[in-house]
Amino acid sequence: MMRHRAWHWGAAAVGLVVVALVAVALGAVRVPLHDLFAIMRGAAPVSTREIVLTLRAPRVVLAALVGAALGASGATMQATLRNPLAEPYLLGVSGGAAVGAVGAMVLRFPAAAWPIGAFIGSGVAVALALGVARGAGTLRAADPRTLLMAGVVVGALANAIVMIALANVPPETVRGALWWMMGSVGDATWTSVAWLAGYALITIVYLLVQAPTIDALTLGDDAAAGLGVQVESATTRAFLTAALLAAATVAAAGLVGFVGLIVPYLARGAGLSRQRDVLVGSLFIGAALVIVADLAARVAMPPSELPLGAVTAVLGVPFFLVQLRRLR
Amino acid sequence: MSFPPSRSAPAPVRLRTALVAAVTVVAVATIGCDTQRRDARNADSPSSIGSAKSEVPVAADSNASAIVVRDDFGGTVALAPIPQRVVSLNPTTTELIFALGGEARVVGRSRWDEWPSAAKQVPALGDALRPSIERVLAARPDLVVLYATPNNRPAYDRLRAAGIRAVGLRIDHIAQFERAARLLGRMLGRAAAGEQVADSVAATLDRVRSATRNLPRPSVVWPVSASPPIVIGGGSYMSELIDIAGARNVYGTMPAPSPVVSIEDVVARNPDIVIRGGDDNPSSAWSTTWSVVPAVRAGHVVRVSTELVSRPSVHLGEAAVALARALHPEAVIP
Repeated sequence: MMRHRAWHWGAAAVGLVVVALVAVALGAVRVPLHDLFAIMRGAAPVSTREIVLTLRAPRVVLAALVGAALGASGATMQATLRNPLAEPYLLGVSGGAAVGAVGAMVLRFPAAAWPIGAFIGSGVAVALALGVARGAGTLRAADPRTLLMAGVVVGALANAIVMIALANVPPETVRGALWWMMGSVGDATWTSVAWLAGYALITIVYLLVQAPTIDALTLGDDAAAGLGVQVESATTRAFLTAALLAAATVAAAGLVGFVGLIVPYLARGAGLSRQRDVLVGSLFIGAALVIVADLAARVAMPPSELPLGAVTAVLGVPFFLVQLRRLR
Repeated sequence: MSFPPSRSAPAPVRLRTALVAAVTVVAVATIGCDTQRRDARNADSPSSIGSAKSEVPVAADSNASAIVVRDDFGGTVALAPIPQRVVSLNPTTTELIFALGGEARVVGRSRWDEWPSAAKQVPALGDALRPSIERVLAARPDLVVLYATPNNRPAYDRLRAAGIRAVGLRIDHIAQFERAARLLGRMLGRAAAGEQVADSVAATLDRVRSATRNLPRPSVVWPVSASPPIVIGGGSYMSELIDIAGARNVYGTMPAPSPVVSIEDVVARNPDIVIRGGDDNPSSAWSTTWSVVPAVRAGHVVRVSTELVSRPSVHLGEAAVALARALHPEAVIP
């Protein structure tokens, strides 16, 4: 059994590497595979080397990190809230992060301060959504629809605040901010990759450690309490960690919606059921999904690029509708 | 993992109501966002709606004896009487009216109209696109000059309904500027000044054009934003300036005035020179993603003053001279 699973994870890792290599090879300038190997040997022309090492590779890696982080965030939120529609974007977490980051932009803070704005904004949004949901009792007792509506309301409020913030700034700032809000990994640098990687590593390890507790939570409040789990605080901790992980992706790549919804769904569809497996599966699937979505965004409409968030929304809305139907 | 049903059993009717509400909120938010985005794009370079081709006449009837002309919204505009209280909601036309000697009659401008510096003394009435009708009316104008874009159509119609002479001018190209100079000159009773401004800009541009005619024509890209990469396309007067200054815009065949492109596409088109100017926003992307563009790596970056190039107005001639000198430092540009 153990060997069987190891084989699966190995295949997933190989598959992810293949997807990443294909994504690095394709684009406005075609880089044949043998050139990729030449770069690794240091034998490629400078221009190819620059395109691959400065533009494409960090971009693909950032896409993978954003996807993995959103997948892990969604998997955690869905399990802790026992709600298949829980997702950072739909719960307003991403919207709150956007308010914080756009606020930092409008107030002309340096780009390095935008992530801090995103964290603060997402924290406020989470608090608001939880407050609304708690109106119905405890967080976990909240009806999935109540949570969803709380998320929609918080998201709408976030949208309104962004619009107000942008109403009085020069058009260039508006255009830049809106483009950023639609999601993109086009600005990826190795520095931004390193920031998100460091942040994601810590939070994802924590979520993996918490996975058995979350498994207990899915048994129901009484059963979990019987196993020695402090239901409400464990739920809140896991949820907040997942929310901050999502906020980190917003700071790095803007609003990329629905990934946190689709990915855990696909992981469970692949037969994974224990939280730790769903989480690891979501890392792989999320990474591959966002790499492919970004590839589509890059090559669909040359010489322009599509916003990444628009591509993931096109992929995600059908999933949302299917899930909503199941709730009935 | 499976999800146990929630505690309160779903009531289909309530769910449907909730869903409809949710979809409505999302839809409204999306539409709002889309509108904002279009606004932003227009304001950025006010010419992205419609064909933006230079054959669109500023005044279809530029017959010198006509007393009524057709503007770029398709409405008719009487040339007489000479207006005494003018509101101009476009940096280009405000600067032009000052150059025509009509500054004493300007009683309102948009908040983006800051040239010449004396224009800042005129009360700013708000935005140039979707302006505040109330504030415009409160200035008691007898002529309102608007940038002709679908965003401004409602304001144009309402001002006309209120009995105010409104004229919509689309100035995206050099030829449109020259026609606007002649038309506003006639409207303000300063026809000679209008002719003189138009002729002097045209003469300077002709001089630059002939000075660069036999020079090598480098290929150039003119980014106005680093991230996302927004470049000047064929729909902008800035692409015409590139041509006059003796270079070839690698995005000159794109009809949009300021398309968003991918940085890889810029690399693939491999321009000889990158023009900077027209962008005020410092962005770290200039030193990261843009550093991959071979011209940037080679240091083939020239700068022109943002002040000079940011609008198709009375300084078009000087802008062409500055650009030609930057692109051809070895040549003598008179």
